Amino acid sequence: MSLKSERRGIHVDQSELLCKKGCGYYGNPAWQGFCSKCWREEYHKARQKQIQDDWELAERLQREEEEAYASSQSTQGAQSLTFSKFEEKKTNEKTRKVTTVKKFFSASSRTGAKKAEIHEAKAPSPSINRQVSIETDRASKEFIEFLKTYQKSGQDIYKQCKMFLEAMHHKRELSIEEQSECAQDFYQNVAEKLQTRWKVSPEKVEKAMDQIEKYIMTRLYKYVFCPETTDDEKKDLVVQKRIRALHWVTPQMLCVPVNEEIPEVSDMVVKAITDIIEMDSKRVPRDKLACITQCSKHIFNAIKITKNEPASADDFLPTLIYIVLKGNPPRLQSNIQYITRFCNPSRLMTGEDGYYFTNLCCAVAFIEKLDAQSLNLSQEDFDRYMSGQTSPKKQESENWSSDVCLGVKQMYKNLDLLSQLNERQERIVSEAKKLEKDLIDWTDGITKEVQDIVEKYPLEIKPKNQPLAAIDSENVENDKLPPPLQPQVYAG
Amino acid sequence: MSGQRVDVKVVMLGKEYVGKTSLVERYVHNRFLVGPYQNTIGAAFVAKVMSVGGRTVTLGIWDTAGSERYEAMSRIYYRGARAAIVCYDLTDSSSFQRAKFWVTELQNFEENCRIYLCGTKSDLLEEDRKKRGIDFHDVQDYADEIKAELFETSSKTGQSVDELFQKVAEDYVQLMAFQVMTEGEGVDLSQKNSTYFYSCCHH
Repeated sequence: MSLKSERRGIHVDQSELLCKKGCGYYGNPAWQGFCSKCWREEYHKARQKQIQDDWELAERLQREEEEAYASSQSTQGAQSLTFSKFEEKKTNEKTRKVTTVKKFFSASSRTGAKKAEIHEAKAPSPSINRQVSIETDRASKEFIEFLKTYQKSGQDIYKQCKMFLEAMHHKRELSIEEQSECAQDFYQNVAEKLQTRWKVSPEKVEKAMDQIEKYIMTRLYKYVFCPETTDDEKKDLVVQKRIRALHWVTPQMLCVPVNEEIPEVSDMVVKAITDIIEMDSKRVPRDKLACITQCSKHIFNAIKITKNEPASADDFLPTLIYIVLKGNPPRLQSNIQYITRFCNPSRLMTGEDGYYFTNLCCAVAFIEKLDAQSLNLSQEDFDRYMSGQTSPKKQESENWSSDVCLGVKQMYKNLDLLSQLNERQERIVSEAKKLEKDLIDWTDGITKEVQDIVEKYPLEIKPKNQPLAAIDSENVENDKLPPPLQPQVYAG
Repeated sequence: MSGQRVDVKVVMLGKEYVGKTSLVERYVHNRFLVGPYQNTIGAAFVAKVMSVGGRTVTLGIWDTAGSERYEAMSRIYYRGARAAIVCYDLTDSSSFQRAKFWVTELQNFEENCRIYLCGTKSDLLEEDRKKRGIDFHDVQDYADEIKAELFETSSKTGQSVDELFQKVAEDYVQLMAFQVMTEGEGVDLSQKNSTYFYSCCHH
């Protein structure tokens, strides 16, 4: 490596370019210095040996597993024991992988180097691994608990699953499509065996299949979700970017029959978006499907409240598209691919979950292909919106019908309300001031009036006995009264 | 949870407003329902349990969006469908042209899917015979040519609605019985798969 970094430009030793095996053809660093033919031979040998080793290990593990399962039904101790071995092997494989990944990418592309770094960062942190193993551990405990209800056939199921996981472990180098095929075959075989050999009732088969899926996919998730061998990640980014570029699409353009002005409806819309985003956090395909179904139910409710009648597919699909555009759920393509590859197919093809999943696939396909025609826009308008020159919301910002963020809408409404309140308060204050002035004026007026009156009619205070005399004098003044009776004396 | 078992996937195809949803509504809400299914919020997906000659079959009826803007995606919908009810409006000849489009698509991409042609809104013809947009015999000839069943239904009066879905279920049961008889090949395939699959552990 250090040699390489010293040498700059295109000066390369001729011998270094040739195949290491000396067959005369040119070698390639990606094939560890071999030519393609020799590399294939070498690689094949190495792989054969690896497979041989893995077989032996698998057989040993299998034996231990069976013993452990037979000895203790709870298998807690045994579980962790075999598990640590499992883990050990996993890390071995990982370190091996890291070096190859580095070799592949360090010289050629930057993204590759980044990926290798991520790998490296992952490998030495045991805490992450531990975290994962706790989750998988819990899943397997639950699985074993569940299988107890199936008595004898439960053991067989467990064995089959273990065997499958081992087989998948060796198939890690295969393309994801082949791995997916293995998983699908496994589902089919187990379901058939449950039905025909172990005579389990159809409902119980369904239940068992769900549990089996949960158990194996919790374990495989790490390796088969958005694997590096595919371009799932790239597709994720493309869709994400596409949805961002389409931020201007309004519900009207899509003919979405949902009125978000109604608080209950906007509630439902928010819930639907939350559900579809949550899908990414689940590990088991069935749990991911459940998120999509939940999201769809909320959409149906939103339509039902708006339209007051049950929704049809003509209402549902546009609304789902709108929700996906609004939510921009993370790793959309990876999730869809993962579900398609590793979900129990009978569920995916026919049932209700399958229906909603198909609609989601459709929504994503629509978003990818979306053009002016599909939104009933002219090509010029579409181009202008896409390039960001204009935005349809500016033209109709007055009535808020565009897809302004709900929060912003609410904010503007609140601001409106506040300014109204402010106005009213000002009016109240001015009225109050007027009232105060009126009150002051009134008191002043009264005081003045009283003073005037007092001035006009000054109060004359007479001596205290005066009133009595006055009464008397009044009487005195009454001359017209007949003279008081005089005592008459009669002689006699 | 929403985990009801479904045996047959039936897709409804047809132009907007030909009455796909009404047809399903009419069929499902007109009869006694078996099983713990509850789907009152939408008619987009309906699971319907029915009995055919003593056997129970669950139809999973998939409504699809008929708008032309989703035409490119219709293939995603009918993947794996065992039956397709292609609807057209008896009073609207353009809807029959679109129906022909779906029939061709199905023939090209979903060979195992049986096609049922369904002319809707027949009650409108009762009112006024002149309203018929496509000649019955033309459609009959076309149906024979593509080996499809032909029904003329009315979701308003319920005419032929039950018969249509009953026929779908019957055909499925018949097909299954036929497949059981000729199962040899199927078993062979799966055996090959399983040996390939477990090879490493059996050795």
